[in-house]
Amino acid sequence: MKTYTLHKLLNKHDELKDRRHPMFEKNRFIRFIAYFMVAYYAAILLFLGVMLPQGMGDPHTGVAAFHVFDSGFYIILITDFWLRFLLQETPAQQAKPYALLPVRQSFLMKRYLIKAALSTGNLFWGFMLVPFAIIGVLPHLGWSGALAWLLGYWLMIVANSYMYLLTRAACTRHILWFLLPVAIHGGVLCAAFLPDTNLMRSICTIFIYGLAQWQLWAYAIPAALIAIGFWCNYRLQRSIVYEDVAKKEDVKVTKTSRMAYLNRFGAMGEYLKMEIKLRMRNKQVKIQFITGVGAMCLLSGIMYFTPAYDGEFMTSFICLYNYIVLGMMTLITIMGYEGNYIDGLMSRRESILSLLTAKYYFNSLLLLVPITINIPLMVAGKISLWMNLGYLFFTVGVLYPIIFQMAVYNKDTLPLNNKLTGKQSNITQTIVSFAILFVPIGIEKVSLFAFGTHWGYAVMILLGILGIATHHIWLRHIYRRLMARRYENMEGFRASRP
Amino acid sequence: MDITISNLKKTFGDKTAVDISQYTIHSGDMLGLVGNNGAGKSTLFRLMLDLIKADQGNVLMGTTDVSTTEEWKDWTGAFIDESFLIDYLTPDEYFHFISTITGMSEQELESTLDRFDHFMAGEVRGQQKLIRNLSAGNKQKVGIVAAMLLHPKVLILDEPFNFLDPSSQNAIKKLLQDYNRETGATILVSSHNLTHTIDICPRIALLESGHIIRDITNNDGSALAELEEYFQ
Repeated sequence: MKTYTLHKLLNKHDELKDRRHPMFEKNRFIRFIAYFMVAYYAAILLFLGVMLPQGMGDPHTGVAAFHVFDSGFYIILITDFWLRFLLQETPAQQAKPYALLPVRQSFLMKRYLIKAALSTGNLFWGFMLVPFAIIGVLPHLGWSGALAWLLGYWLMIVANSYMYLLTRAACTRHILWFLLPVAIHGGVLCAAFLPDTNLMRSICTIFIYGLAQWQLWAYAIPAALIAIGFWCNYRLQRSIVYEDVAKKEDVKVTKTSRMAYLNRFGAMGEYLKMEIKLRMRNKQVKIQFITGVGAMCLLSGIMYFTPAYDGEFMTSFICLYNYIVLGMMTLITIMGYEGNYIDGLMSRRESILSLLTAKYYFNSLLLLVPITINIPLMVAGKISLWMNLGYLFFTVGVLYPIIFQMAVYNKDTLPLNNKLTGKQSNITQTIVSFAILFVPIGIEKVSLFAFGTHWGYAVMILLGILGIATHHIWLRHIYRRLMARRYENMEGFRASRP
Repeated sequence: MDITISNLKKTFGDKTAVDISQYTIHSGDMLGLVGNNGAGKSTLFRLMLDLIKADQGNVLMGTTDVSTTEEWKDWTGAFIDESFLIDYLTPDEYFHFISTITGMSEQELESTLDRFDHFMAGEVRGQQKLIRNLSAGNKQKVGIVAAMLLHPKVLILDEPFNFLDPSSQNAIKKLLQDYNRETGATILVSSHNLTHTIDICPRIALLESGHIIRDITNNDGSALAELEEYFQ
């Protein structure tokens, strides 16, 4: 087959893969929401691109808006990097279906890496950068400078995309690779927020100015990053496809544990063991857990060591985030992992109810992690004991019952242990996640406004205790509704199994 | 435990998967379900286990409509495919899980599992391997043993001979016959293997496009000729 024909065929497959995704096929409303969200973010970026040039510069000192903007260049790269985890597939994921077909892997890998570089996703920041370039760069550096400025940003975003692909691929080998970008970005942020120094901001400004001036040394940096990123990805992603197809880990002997201390809880103890093993033995679930704890530590670290999050809103946000993030990551997609063995669960009487109850207990116990992380923040006076208790009880007694409602509606199976999995984004879940992250802060503020600080948090604690005390009732209610939708859900789980 | 199927219909688009007006499987029957691919065997089993919704009609286990209560799950054991297995557990953990959630004691579990030792041939228990890392045949064994673990009054197995080596196929045949004889359980087995089905099932239902087109009494292999003629 000619290379051109093969490209055309693979393009067709890529197109069909998106169009025939089970989530999109079943729900036009979700598709509409997805497009709406993209348009919404584009509009926000556009707004920033128009407004920032007008507010950033200082004509008295001669500092142009783009100099100020460029000094925060690292923020765009860091944001871009982590957002990619939500959306971007790796070349290994894309090439895997063809691994056993007579198509050269080298060809596929080069194709998907080049495609990743030229992806329209890398142009998304253009909604902000293009208007900024026209309003904020063009008057100072002319057309050539503005074009060079845009080109420089784009090249760095492409390099960023390769770094993301490399990290994502390395994480399939060992989850600890995840710590590398955490450390780098953490280091960059710490350097940026160090008091009495402008080092990071100066480096960014000089570098981007070099790009805008068509300086060879400046272009050598993204060029080298892209070349290294391409070469490393090419080798790593190929070997990962082979490892996945060969299923190397199949020979591994598993460390077994009876977890006898849970036996005293009878059937509930067994479901709790299952929850623990679900997290310990499945790569995807493990990654999710470590990501949650990592994000919690990173934000709490920034809050502890810097004044960056000392504002009223951010204090509430970090406190809430620490309590909800682990539950949010696993419970928003509740039943998704169980979709892999839903038929077995459904053929046992009320096993789903026991499973939901075990999940509630387990996720409540898991809050020992944020409680521990929040202690230094309390000691340092960053968050108050009342706020801590308010959000703790509110999470267990109010937010968990809300998130658990997703058990009724979730019907997409999530891969448990596959190294190479496709996109798993679900707009409904994303919307609920955002609501869970921000609505409670509104409730806190209203409660504090209405009842004063102590009584405000006391109301949140009381609401939480009410939810905890009635957990058997609301869990059974969720179970009944889930059983009423069981056929639809089981069909969805079967259709979306990897 | 009688199983009564009444006006049961299930379609997928234009295709009729199951369409059975009336059919009764009597308590203690050992029924073999045969038919070509797409005849509706697995769909019928899934309907009997309330895993998919019938377009019309119902399945009664005794007097219990399987789609309205969960009571029947206490006395029914089934294995259809890998979606019945929690694959990140080891076989021992999985058996332990099932026994504990259904209130079976540790001793009872051990003595029940001992009965399956010959069938499992030392390749399943004590392996320290997750179910997902077992061979297809051993996964099949785990599923079958788990279905029989609680001494069900109704046992439903879809293609139980698949992936099994010849020794294990013979072992499962003997196990099923003994279990049926000793407990009087109603056993439903679907298979593409006519020889095995005829060897163990005194009654055979032939399915075609969702309809039971023949209900064959099989005395000492008498059904073989009729089935061979059909599958020519």
